[in-house]
Amino acid sequence: MTLELMAVGCGTVFDQYYLPALQKLESRGMVRVVALVDPNPGRTAGIQKHFPSAGAFATPAEAFAVTTPDLTIIASPPNLHAEHALSAFRAGSHVLCEKPMAASVGDAERMVAAASAAKRVLAVGMTRRMYPCLTEARALIASGALGDDLSFVYREGGVYGWPVSTDFAFRRATAGGGVLIDKGTHVLDFLAALFGRPTAAAYADDGYTEGVETNCRIGVEFPGARGTVQLSWSQPLVNGFHVHGSAGELTLHPWRLDAVRFRKKGGPWETRISAATWPGDLRQEGKRGTPWTYEECVYYQIVQSLRAVTHGEPVPVTGEDGLLIVHTIDSCYRRATPLRLEWLPEAEQAQADSRHWSRRQ
Amino acid sequence: MSGAIAILGAGGFVGARMLEMSFLAGRTDIVPVVRSFRSVARVANLGMSHRLGDASQPESLERALAGCEVVVNLTTGDPADILRTTRSIYRAAVASGVRLLIHASSATVYGQVAQPDLPDDSPPQLDHWMPYAREKGLAENFLRDMMAERRLDIVVLRPGLIWGPRSPWVIRPAVQLASGSAYLVGDGGGICNLIYVDNLVRSIEAVIAHPRQVSGFYNVADDETTTWREYYAAFAAGLGVDPATVHTVPADRFRTGLGGLAEELKKLPPYQWLKYRLSPETKSAIKLRLKLAFDRDGPAQSGNSASPEVTRDMWHLQTTRHPLPTSRFKAAFGHQNRSSFASGLAASLAWLRFTGFDQGRAQDSPGQGSAP
Repeated sequence: MTLELMAVGCGTVFDQYYLPALQKLESRGMVRVVALVDPNPGRTAGIQKHFPSAGAFATPAEAFAVTTPDLTIIASPPNLHAEHALSAFRAGSHVLCEKPMAASVGDAERMVAAASAAKRVLAVGMTRRMYPCLTEARALIASGALGDDLSFVYREGGVYGWPVSTDFAFRRATAGGGVLIDKGTHVLDFLAALFGRPTAAAYADDGYTEGVETNCRIGVEFPGARGTVQLSWSQPLVNGFHVHGSAGELTLHPWRLDAVRFRKKGGPWETRISAATWPGDLRQEGKRGTPWTYEECVYYQIVQSLRAVTHGEPVPVTGEDGLLIVHTIDSCYRRATPLRLEWLPEAEQAQADSRHWSRRQ
Repeated sequence: MSGAIAILGAGGFVGARMLEMSFLAGRTDIVPVVRSFRSVARVANLGMSHRLGDASQPESLERALAGCEVVVNLTTGDPADILRTTRSIYRAAVASGVRLLIHASSATVYGQVAQPDLPDDSPPQLDHWMPYAREKGLAENFLRDMMAERRLDIVVLRPGLIWGPRSPWVIRPAVQLASGSAYLVGDGGGICNLIYVDNLVRSIEAVIAHPRQVSGFYNVADDETTTWREYYAAFAAGLGVDPATVHTVPADRFRTGLGGLAEELKKLPPYQWLKYRLSPETKSAIKLRLKLAFDRDGPAQSGNSASPEVTRDMWHLQTTRHPLPTSRFKAAFGHQNRSSFASGLAASLAWLRFTGFDQGRAQDSPGQGSAP
């Protein structure tokens, strides 16, 4: 079976991650890319070279007028996700929407409602859900190996290096926020997959009146766990995820997607390799595999979204899951306070506080 | 001053700090210029409007400089591009009617500061082994020739090692001290020639504010003369690391280790050629397989056990014998070093704590590891 597929938004995310995965899927006969949509004809032309069957369109409306793909991948700017997803549902297509699902709670709610009304799949591209280490960590926590009173620290930061082709990610109007929307979406979803429903207890960032945050710190609580998330676009942090419980502790392996490190209280560290696999094709009893790289995770995520269309299997992240994270992020922004940057001279800290974006309301 | 101040390299370490200081001081005449949109991210919190300008495309740079009276060149990048970029920036500045071009060079053009009281306009050492130093020297010589043409005022600043929060010269010693791989060459008596990033920014601001033409070469450095022994000892004390864990390596000559060889290999043209041509997917797959092949995957390290990896640039820096003379700058622009070594150290340690740095965990260092 070959499914027809459309891509809306042919920028850097599509170019870096979706393009190689779709080339593989097309070469293996699972999909045929029939339409590429982007207002920049240079971008669609560049990608069209890899997909000979694909037509190039400036808007989703133009594309849906001539084709109804089985699955529409939405990788446009976040403030356009809702509009583009709704067009797809109206046309009868299923949707895999790149993260962040939407730039506002209202948009995310409209997407979930539209998918439900159209009886179509709405999958959200949270690639980290495909990490085998997540399965291993979840199993360890569920087994009680860490005990109770779980606390964690999740830090992820570095100087931004993503080769973006526009500045939409750095403007509140188009992106909805900064590093919290970008990295935080992934991190909060990863934590939600481990611990359940998140509740933002505290939030501070460094965004000023006209800017978006490049650093933030979140106090976040889950049923049975609480901790801190710290994110940065502007500087390296001591990156890692560390969970501590009454009976043991766990960290993600620093660079292996399939491993965690675990130790019982007072015991030596051991590396646990996950045996988790994902379907690699659309056959009922087809080949399964373990993703080792981020790019492979994207491949398996698309396959799983296609299997949701063909076999009715669950997607890794549903629209409702995505909505939960959009709600959590919204809750963070609603309680935003200035992040204390203690290395700045006092006069600058005072200025930073007074010019924080939350003061404008 | 009526025109705006263009900051080229606004997304870099010094550029970003200059924007932050200017923004928090309420300045509205700063125009950040970046080569690509990704550089905007580092300072996206300020919400400033950026202009795109690529020194490899002079016409784009000329557009970016429209209406600017001053250009501050803080660009960094491949050493092979330094001279070409400098020429391009100069030409765009002239074409745009810029009054003053401030060019950030480097004290490395001198090599190791081989004599005390080195005149600021001493010619650069063009036979230096380090490509970065050679190319910076060639760029200086180009600007020296252009100063003679007097089409605009050109000030070349030569900072030493720029340190402070977010600086590689803070991250490196902290990481080394935490992992037990810190080392001193000989007795550690070599001179660091530091300049705290805020002092450098204030020096640039003083040049911009100067009312008269001031073309020339000026060294800039902190007031204190700090040896490498003192620098590492200060960080060790601040991080709670036993200074006895700092290794000593011979000062008589540089000996290449495995790490040094790997660094040299990365500078070779075939490596650079491949680096920019392989797809991200292929690069991650190669990296992963190399790591899996060589990884011993032991338990989390408790620190203080790693061997030093002596690099050629660090060995040479640590054998610098004299402080950089800065009297010429002070005579022309006044004393701008409001941050002392003690206050800079306190700020750097506060920043390290903010990043989550904990000396007890060797793998826990800024930028190390990755939360997938």
